[in-house]
Amino acid sequence: MSTHGLAYTGSVGFALWRRSLLELARVRGGLLPTTVAPLIFLLGSLGQFGRLDQLVGFPTTSYIAWLVPLSCLQAAGFAGGATGANLARDIEAGWFDRLLSSPAPRPLLLLGPVMAAMTRCLVPVTVILIAGLVIGPGLTGGLFGLLMLYLAAISFSVVASLWGITLALRARSQQVGPLIQNGVFIAVFLSTAYTPLPFLKGWLAVAAPYNPVTYVLQMGRQATVSGIEPSWAHTWPGLLALAGMILFFGLLALRQLRRVDL
Amino acid sequence: MSSFAIERDLATQGRVIAALAERALRVQLRRAQFLLPSFLLPLLLLAVIASGTSAAQQLPGFPSTGSYVGFVVSGTIMQGTLLAGLMAGIAIAGDIEGGFFDRLLSAPVHRASIVLGRVLGTALIGVAQAVLFLSVALALGADFKGGVVGVVLTITLAALSASAAAGLGATIALRTGSLSLMQNLFPFVFVLLFTAPAFFPRALLNPVLETISVANPLSYVVEGMRGALFDSAALGSVWAGFAAGIGSVILTCTLAVWAMRSRVRS
Repeated sequence: MSTHGLAYTGSVGFALWRRSLLELARVRGGLLPTTVAPLIFLLGSLGQFGRLDQLVGFPTTSYIAWLVPLSCLQAAGFAGGATGANLARDIEAGWFDRLLSSPAPRPLLLLGPVMAAMTRCLVPVTVILIAGLVIGPGLTGGLFGLLMLYLAAISFSVVASLWGITLALRARSQQVGPLIQNGVFIAVFLSTAYTPLPFLKGWLAVAAPYNPVTYVLQMGRQATVSGIEPSWAHTWPGLLALAGMILFFGLLALRQLRRVDL
Repeated sequence: MSSFAIERDLATQGRVIAALAERALRVQLRRAQFLLPSFLLPLLLLAVIASGTSAAQQLPGFPSTGSYVGFVVSGTIMQGTLLAGLMAGIAIAGDIEGGFFDRLLSAPVHRASIVLGRVLGTALIGVAQAVLFLSVALALGADFKGGVVGVVLTITLAALSASAAAGLGATIALRTGSLSLMQNLFPFVFVLLFTAPAFFPRALLNPVLETISVANPLSYVVEGMRGALFDSAALGSVWAGFAAGIGSVILTCTLAVWAMRSRVRS
């Protein structure tokens, strides 16, 4: 690609990213649902299941330390999924058709919403992390753990946004919104959401090791769970899982985009 | 018969309530956006919690109910009925924004019948949810010592819980008339759920939550369901459950009718 081409790509991507973020400034409380829901789940799950940390062999003595990375991932997923719902609204309103008729390469049209998801997720993730750190035992994983938690959350928001974009392009209706968020919900909870693998029973014990989110959670939990110390062994499975999911859902989104007719 | 006489005729209003309940049922059961949160989401959470937190039975003080899924299914029913109530509120807000509500108001229909029709429809959804969730729990190995009587009492409590939730949803929808606001209330359903001993016994909740749960009427309803399902007063009082359930229905439906009158006046 020439320098001119790169500059063009950058300017289109930046303009679409900026438009997605401007929405947040215009719609008051736009980030509230993606922040409040995981925060309520965090506090509610802590209240309900907090005594689970008393089980022999549980990797931390603070249950909130186990839950915070889960809620961060959930928030990042909801923020990512919201970009899919917004795209569906743009499609219904005819705005996306105008973008399709522009000379911009089609894959670039997805770049803006994905970049917006990465940026948007930072707010709820940080709010939840601060709440968790205030109530919980702190960052046992230090700076490396913190970086891994943010990397896991931001990358997961990319996965969720690609999933949302795929569904939005297929359904072309805002009614697909709940399906996008439910998909994120299912992916996050069919994992080691509440307890580590050895404590899972029945079908979830079989399913969770095959869910890539289990390894993304492990990567993020290096930040707060004292029993999951920061190490390459706890990082690479998460990175691999994220790369695989981004590739899979990225290809799905591009395939769906190619099928869109003007 | 004048419109005033029609509004006062109990038989006619009964038919109106039945018709509106039937419409509410059809709308909620036909659209995926209503079905997913009311039926699929609670089932999913039941499956995750039953498998993911069943090690809790090893905790000292956890009551012995045989299968863990049997203990948590009451929380799932509660969650389902709360979400059904929210969906009822969303549907009312949709009717207000779409103009159907204005057509209802111009008909010779008593204001309370409009609210009660929606509440009755949601109560029937609560019954369907309870039957489904209890069947799934039985299939997953739950053993309800309370037998058929316990199951019937639980289903009745579910209907009361759904009615109260629908009354609350209707109140907010009629006060605000905003579909987008109702849709954003989804997380707050979980505040009501998590401040009750929905999935854990009250004695094992976080101390702060344990204190708050005393003031949440849903605590008594969910414990009443457990008491009925396992025929055990130690797990919860069925009478307290019914008292809390009926009280909540009367309170929320009264608030909804007031909200309706205030909307009509404005």
